[in-house]
Amino acid sequence: MPRDSEDRSFRYPLKWRIMDGLNAALDLLWPRRLGRYTGWALLTPALLLVGILVLGLFQIAENSLHTLDTSTFLPGEEYTLANYRIIAESPTYWRIVWRSLLGAGLTVFFTLLLALPYSYIMVRTNKAALRKTLLIVLFLPFFIGQVVRAYGILIVMGSSGAVNDALGLVGIEPIRLLFNFPAVVFGLVQYMLPFAVLMLAPALTAIPRETETAASSLGANWVKVFRHVILPMAKPGLVGAALVVGTLSLTDFAMPAMLGGGSQDFIANAIYDQFFRTADQGLGSALALLLVALGSVIAGVVIAFFGAGTLGMRGRK
Amino acid sequence: MNRNITRRGILRTGMATGGAALLTPFAASRIFAQEPEKPAEIIVRAWGGDWVAALKAGVSDRFTEETGIAVRHDLTEDNEIQPKIWAAVAQGRIPPIHVNWDTTTNASKSALRGVTEDLSDLANLSNTTDLAKPIGLDGYPIVNTYGYVYVLAYRPEAFPDGAPKSWRDLLDPRLKRRIALYNDGIGFHFPAQVAGGGSLEDIPGNMDACWEFIREIKNQQPLLGEDPDFTAWFQNGEIDAACTISTNALAAKKNGIDLAWTVPEEGCKFDTDGMWIPQGLPENELYWAKQYINMALSKESQQIWLDGLGLPGVVPDLTPPEGLENDPSYPTKPEDFEDLIRISSKIQIENESEWFAKFKEIMQG
Repeated sequence: MPRDSEDRSFRYPLKWRIMDGLNAALDLLWPRRLGRYTGWALLTPALLLVGILVLGLFQIAENSLHTLDTSTFLPGEEYTLANYRIIAESPTYWRIVWRSLLGAGLTVFFTLLLALPYSYIMVRTNKAALRKTLLIVLFLPFFIGQVVRAYGILIVMGSSGAVNDALGLVGIEPIRLLFNFPAVVFGLVQYMLPFAVLMLAPALTAIPRETETAASSLGANWVKVFRHVILPMAKPGLVGAALVVGTLSLTDFAMPAMLGGGSQDFIANAIYDQFFRTADQGLGSALALLLVALGSVIAGVVIAFFGAGTLGMRGRK
Repeated sequence: MNRNITRRGILRTGMATGGAALLTPFAASRIFAQEPEKPAEIIVRAWGGDWVAALKAGVSDRFTEETGIAVRHDLTEDNEIQPKIWAAVAQGRIPPIHVNWDTTTNASKSALRGVTEDLSDLANLSNTTDLAKPIGLDGYPIVNTYGYVYVLAYRPEAFPDGAPKSWRDLLDPRLKRRIALYNDGIGFHFPAQVAGGGSLEDIPGNMDACWEFIREIKNQQPLLGEDPDFTAWFQNGEIDAACTISTNALAAKKNGIDLAWTVPEEGCKFDTDGMWIPQGLPENELYWAKQYINMALSKESQQIWLDGLGLPGVVPDLTPPEGLENDPSYPTKPEDFEDLIRISSKIQIENESEWFAKFKEIMQG
């Protein structure tokens, strides 16, 4: 009877038994017949989060249709478009909207201008030390946060900061580098650069080196290779980075607040003022919806013309 | 009758005397009063920096010592806590703080909205001046705790000929990009009305003079910020003059910056801050929150708290902090108020949004 005893003593490996147990538990929790809905089940948490956001937007839309009664500081009962009329007729808000769009546009331009060579060198270099250095320099700002970085800029570029000290060494009187529109754009570019590099690096990695070598062997110098090979093939990354940098810049609050000296507000600052300074939630809600609409339309137009880039998870369009 | 004095007898007498002492009106009230259950802590919203340090020394520490209740300071900005409290009251939730240390204008908005508790039964109110009473509100939905002046603070080395005499001195070309105002213009509207050639009686109906002067100031490219910004800007050498609460100038001076302040000939805005309690607290916590404000109105607390802030309180006969006696930022006598501008809270509350919007319109150009 040795065979019987061998059969009785045989046991599957522990890993297999755990996997069997987990499979059985999964069958109980999510029977195989529901398999076709698995994708939806995985999407549910994300959909719930977006759903909460959409519910909030409905509430904001409802708020935007009431004006503030300053005798009770409660929203008025009747529905009205007065808040939207105030925005439409206010030169201040038009100026702020234009400044936000211009600031976001310039930030996208300068960020991509800096991010593209940075990403290219990071991806293509054969020197591991250089790649690691570039990666560390890229990720370091992520551990610091936007507000602290803005304070860093305030210290370095202030009237008695390091930059003015350096200018003083060559006989230049201290100049006001902060609290103006260029300072806000500078802060935004500094903040957005890591995002853009992270979006561009995978797109550049996907370009085979052989393609560049082939172009060179056919007589193209590096400028032509860059213009006719790298740029077109990096387009998905450029579009994805532009969308991310553009939308984040358009909705930014901290950089205009800290580096703008109070006179370079973006739309987010105007929203803050209405919600928290004048307690006019109706007007603040109307401005918030304007910002959502503006961002959505711009993103929609970019996607319609250039595709979603790496955000679409395909490298073609 | 032979009465021997023994050691036991002395001990008994001592215990009896001690027991009687415990039943004096003060101590008896401690023992037998129906004091509600004490919470482990109460939360008081405050401004940071020197502001909260002064409150802690003058009121919070004394309150904890007296009651055993810890005080936590919530440094959320007054403007930001306001919608949170309003939402909590509207939804029937317990509000996020027990006591709100707030500007009188902001606090009055909450009172008008009906989210404040009545404070008219505070015992120490009987020992306060008229300044403690909020103007234009029924009863005491809030209590003013001190006054302050939006002075013209300046760096003496930038004014070698002496203190600026007029707000118009800020238009000097050498001060271009070297002056600062609050980012909503608060504190500056009323003196600007006078400096622009207008009259205070025209507020709020006709403030053209105010806006015209602010347009002139705009050409000087002023920095616009909040309380902490002014101290930082003076310290970092970014500005030479600012319209700011004297406490901020005092804070910068304490940090070693050579600063002075003055009330120009057009006058300076005088305003008050106060304290209030949001509705919706459990009964026992409401009781202790009231005791906290009551302590803030006691002479001892006012003296310590306002020494730290360098501001005049609402209790008579406080001793001015060193160097501030007869200072224009520390008005106490009726004649001290002659150069100060005080506009009713009601007018300010009703028109504040419009003034802020107009100021923004000019400054964002």
